[in-house]
Amino acid sequence: MDLNFENVINAVIAIVIGVGALIIYFFGSNWLLDNIFRDVVREDGHVEKSRESIREAIRPWLFVGPAIILLGLYLVYPAIQTVILSFFDENGNEFVGLRNYQWAINDGEFRQAVTNNILWLVIVPAASTAIGLLVAVLADRVRWGNIAKSLVFTPMAISFVGASVIWKFVYDYRGPNNPQIGVLNGIVQALGGEPQAWITITPFLNSFLLMIILIWIQTGFAMVVLSAALRGVPEETLEAARIDGANEIRIFFNIMVPQIMGTILVVWTTITITVLKVFDIVLAMTNGQWDTEVLANYMYDWMFRGGGDFGRGSAIASVIMIAVIPILIWNVRRFQQEEAMR
Amino acid sequence: MKKYLSLLVVALLLLAVMPASAQDLIFEVGEGDFSWDSYQEFADAYDFSGQEVEIFGPWIGEDQELVESVIAYFEDATGATVNYAGSDSFEQQIIIDVEAGSPPNIAIFPQPGLAANVAADGGLVSLGDETRQWVLDNYAAGQSWVDLGTYANAEGEDDFYGFFYKVDLKSIVWYVPDNFTDAGYEVPETMEDLIALSEQIVADGGTPWCIGLGSGDATGWPATDWVEDLMLRLYPPETYDAWVTNELAFNSPEVVDAIETFGMFSKNDEWVNGGAAAAASTDFRDAPAGLFTVPPQCYLHRQASFITSFFPEDVELGTDVDFFYFPSYAEKDLGNPVLGAGTLWAITEDSDVARGFLEFLKTPISNEIWMAQSGFLSPHTGVNLDTYANDTLRGQGEILLNATTFRFDGSDLMPGAIGAGAFWTAMVDFVSGADAQEVADQVQAAWDAISE
Repeated sequence: MDLNFENVINAVIAIVIGVGALIIYFFGSNWLLDNIFRDVVREDGHVEKSRESIREAIRPWLFVGPAIILLGLYLVYPAIQTVILSFFDENGNEFVGLRNYQWAINDGEFRQAVTNNILWLVIVPAASTAIGLLVAVLADRVRWGNIAKSLVFTPMAISFVGASVIWKFVYDYRGPNNPQIGVLNGIVQALGGEPQAWITITPFLNSFLLMIILIWIQTGFAMVVLSAALRGVPEETLEAARIDGANEIRIFFNIMVPQIMGTILVVWTTITITVLKVFDIVLAMTNGQWDTEVLANYMYDWMFRGGGDFGRGSAIASVIMIAVIPILIWNVRRFQQEEAMR
Repeated sequence: MKKYLSLLVVALLLLAVMPASAQDLIFEVGEGDFSWDSYQEFADAYDFSGQEVEIFGPWIGEDQELVESVIAYFEDATGATVNYAGSDSFEQQIIIDVEAGSPPNIAIFPQPGLAANVAADGGLVSLGDETRQWVLDNYAAGQSWVDLGTYANAEGEDDFYGFFYKVDLKSIVWYVPDNFTDAGYEVPETMEDLIALSEQIVADGGTPWCIGLGSGDATGWPATDWVEDLMLRLYPPETYDAWVTNELAFNSPEVVDAIETFGMFSKNDEWVNGGAAAAASTDFRDAPAGLFTVPPQCYLHRQASFITSFFPEDVELGTDVDFFYFPSYAEKDLGNPVLGAGTLWAITEDSDVARGFLEFLKTPISNEIWMAQSGFLSPHTGVNLDTYANDTLRGQGEILLNATTFRFDGSDLMPGAIGAGAFWTAMVDFVSGADAQEVADQVQAAWDAISE
């Protein structure tokens, strides 16, 4: 009990010191800048402009600088270090060239993880975006649409591990003579079928069942963003199409979808990046067993389990990083194009 | 700003007035069945007034309270101050501390493998021949404990570093005595009897075993315990030792034999509650529940001593549920091997008071204090078994003391990628349908891949 209390006090002290330091930095650095490059007033009372332009050139860096330093320290440096480590042995001491990558290519489980990751990448973003779009379009047309939207959105608030625990119960299996506590097997049994140990069914079925969890979580995100985009479709164009005699399905595919294509792609790629990092669900549900391994989980396995192998862990991490880069570049390009259009 | 400052002052004041956590002695000196003379003797022999010792271990929460209840007696006897720090990421932290040159005086390792790594880096201090001899003389299966605590140092020479204190027992089978009485079954004395009993239960229309291998991100480990236990019953301990170091290849006939024997129990739909598919996917914490249903879904459950924490709440140990030693084959004549795990204490930063603390761990009283509470078994032959908190613990303590061989959980001794990875996966694949040779080859391939 008093241990918790101590923690709370420590947290309070940390916050006070942290916020205080920031305030001091902010005012202090600006004060320094203003004093070092003080305006030079000529004898005729005219203020020289050059000093001011120096000040204004430096000032943004006072704001952005700490963030850049922190990003460099916590993001860029580890990323570079990871790539470097991937060329070293398990302790990070001896340079081994491409041996870790060579190992990965020849490793059956790594190839399995790559295959599964590709499956995840194809299915989850597509399904989440499609279902999200469907809900966004349809929910606006019914009276209880908002309730439906809230329900679809709720899983977003649940952590991945929490969601896994919930779905563990959905897929739970007990022997055929025992009462089933899993929803899925409950249904199967009520329909007269044999209960199944779902998460052990290979090939692929168990991976699909794990994907459903992520789809369940991500659909809410897709729905909210797409719903907002749909509001942006001008009512007049829809009206015009209706007057021209287009049915609802044509309106959806020929007017709504093209108008919000940019948003759909952003949602799609955002979910794609989430999927590339998928880890918690697999760890909590199967830990990659029964052929459900994915890259992030496999990396964790090599990096941290039982002493760990920095080289191989880093090599797998680098592969994931390389896979994310094209999607990121594409996303940034699109964003810049849209900015330019404005 | 003023407001923040006053908050800070208040916080600092609160810190200052908070009481230091001085712990009272949980059992009064001189009362009960404890070996108080060993305590008195120790207190007379050592005086560390004003000195401090830092201990770092894996125990937090309830276990931390338990270990501190023992430490309190050391402090009381010697006047020393002991600072115990626990962490649930002990494994990572101790490496960092040693590498950074700021180790605690004593570290409590949950696995010999980790201690061996630290010893190889020159991070451990030898406990000396005297302590080594003491363990040989005073622990049941003493040689096993000495071997488990002996590692190569930075120069590659073997020395004795690890002192075992607090042991878990794995070789036990749980059963419900009432169910046995109702059905007219008897506790088997030999492995042959156990197999015959399983067949008998099937013949009577029941299901003998509850097996659950599920354990979240560690799914598969309960199966490794089975295979290790069977390995010790099928082959001499030397085979086991060669197996955990891979001197004996993982896909050797002996290992395949042990895996197949496990398959006899686990891959037989008639022998396992819910069938083999249920064994692989049932959580190990849920598995024993089948013992307690009416009618019972199973009669037997092989699991370590800690499983009692996952029994239904109203189950009373000793009456509603009991256990017996997972028996050895009568025809093999390999004695009574026991599989278990435990924590070993090693000195990471030498000092007189740290040495004194290890002397304290040799006293019966330091074991009895924890034995009288919960979750503690000791291979120390000098302790008074009457001090165990209940008959269940006492019975488990007796199994430890009767052991002719003690072997540490093999998967904990193997490299992490095998013992906490490939071996688990292989067992899951095996129970899900693959054959023993296939999965053994798979593990050996993984072992070859790490030792490249």
